[in-house]
Amino acid sequence: MRKELRELRPVYVVGIGLHKYQAASETPYVQLGLTAIREALRDASIAFSAVESAYTGTALLGMAPSRVMLRHLGGSGLPIAQIENASASGSTAFRQACLEVASGLCDVSLAVGIDKPGRIQLAHERAGVPDLVSGYVAPFTHFALLAHEYMHRYGVTAEQVAAVAVKNFRNASRNPYAQRTKAYSLDEVLAGPRIAGALTRLQCCPVGEGAAAVIVASEAAIREYGIDRSRAIRVLASVSRSERVYEPGCDPDTELTRETLAMACEQADIEPQQLDVVEFHDAFSIEELLYVEALGLCGPGEAAALLAQGSFDIGGRWAVNPSGGLLGMGHPIGPTGVGQICEIARQLRGEAGNRQQPNAQLGLAHMVGIGSVCVAHVLSRQQ
Amino acid sequence: MTSNTSELFLAGATPPSLRGQRCGACGALAFPPNPYGCEKCGATADLLTDQALTGRGRLRAVATTFVPPRKDMPAPFTVASIELADGPVVRALLTTPTDESLRIGDEVQAVLVSFSTENGAQTELRFAPVEAS
Repeated sequence: MRKELRELRPVYVVGIGLHKYQAASETPYVQLGLTAIREALRDASIAFSAVESAYTGTALLGMAPSRVMLRHLGGSGLPIAQIENASASGSTAFRQACLEVASGLCDVSLAVGIDKPGRIQLAHERAGVPDLVSGYVAPFTHFALLAHEYMHRYGVTAEQVAAVAVKNFRNASRNPYAQRTKAYSLDEVLAGPRIAGALTRLQCCPVGEGAAAVIVASEAAIREYGIDRSRAIRVLASVSRSERVYEPGCDPDTELTRETLAMACEQADIEPQQLDVVEFHDAFSIEELLYVEALGLCGPGEAAALLAQGSFDIGGRWAVNPSGGLLGMGHPIGPTGVGQICEIARQLRGEAGNRQQPNAQLGLAHMVGIGSVCVAHVLSRQQ
Repeated sequence: MTSNTSELFLAGATPPSLRGQRCGACGALAFPPNPYGCEKCGATADLLTDQALTGRGRLRAVATTFVPPRKDMPAPFTVASIELADGPVVRALLTTPTDESLRIGDEVQAVLVSFSTENGAQTELRFAPVEAS
């Protein structure tokens, strides 16, 4: 019989760690990854020898990066694999780690995301299916088109879209792991340079380097290793979807997000309104408005007004992208989805310091990736 | 420069038609055409037949791109999302490099643009605003 994550063995996030997201540097990826993993091991207070499997989310490093890095933690012979799922690579690595613990195949699993900027080769360009704009439509042009349609349909201004970036930079300025650390003003965001359509440079996420690591564990492992139960965060739902054929003109990213997030909330047995913190894939400012509405926090066309009222601020009704999101914290590809889990776990533990959403109980992480794919997780403070 | 090739249009008509594909199993109408199978129902390619799509439509959205994805591309250029008169929504380059005079709902039609490249002459299908008469 088909089962959902919540009907399997409970899975808990017990350790989180990050290497700061930053512009490309000479630092080898091994150093980035080990920094994040060692921080996660310290956070969980367990040794690497307790980790029974490891999944590395990466899109750009090339073949076989995991053991090159993990061997420096003591080669234990654990099963390892790389997970490539475009921007959702890290989210998918986390999902695999969760599924392995939930199924009972192991008690402790590691999801790590790492990348360094490199040449991006998209398989669809070699698919043998030409289209009219192949090569011309980079992601920023794709989302500029969606922004134009959205602004026209709902009478939303370029300033209201840019306000997403202002909020997320304010959050990122309080996040020591963020790539963009300056709280830019609306005027600075709008000042350009223009990239595509209404999108200026500061409404497009920086793609740099970094690493994020999450350790997930079963009840049995929490007991066996004496892990602090009060800091363990339950994973209530894990959903991974890919694009279907939608009605002509429907934006596939939003439709895919809508159905994936609805499934995630249903699996977790919660209403979207009950969430306290949400980390969305805000690679471009317009996306946050589209996905807030797709999740159902408000009706179509209402997100910009709620944003202006402070509903999505830390301390507002929902903290949306309290980490700073992809716009502020950055989008080093492989790490991004794992980093979202780190942020939500930190928020639900009440350990987010000056960017803490008060009394946060429930969080949702959402990534989309070129293809399109969408991966979502719901986490809960209550066990 | 792009894979906007003659496989995508039927040059005989004025304006040139787009080469759509109709699925004989589920009836889905798709663009661009593909040699593999129906994206809606999975029917194999032998069940897909060409169906000409009139090269006329209306703008759903436009975006002028100032930063080219590749250094060898001229910028700015403008991409539009176009609702064809026959139903499908397609993305295409416009003949106008910037979008200042364009509005959502404006009528556009397909045109063939020829230019020379390192690999010889090339013809692409783009869309141009229909002048008000």
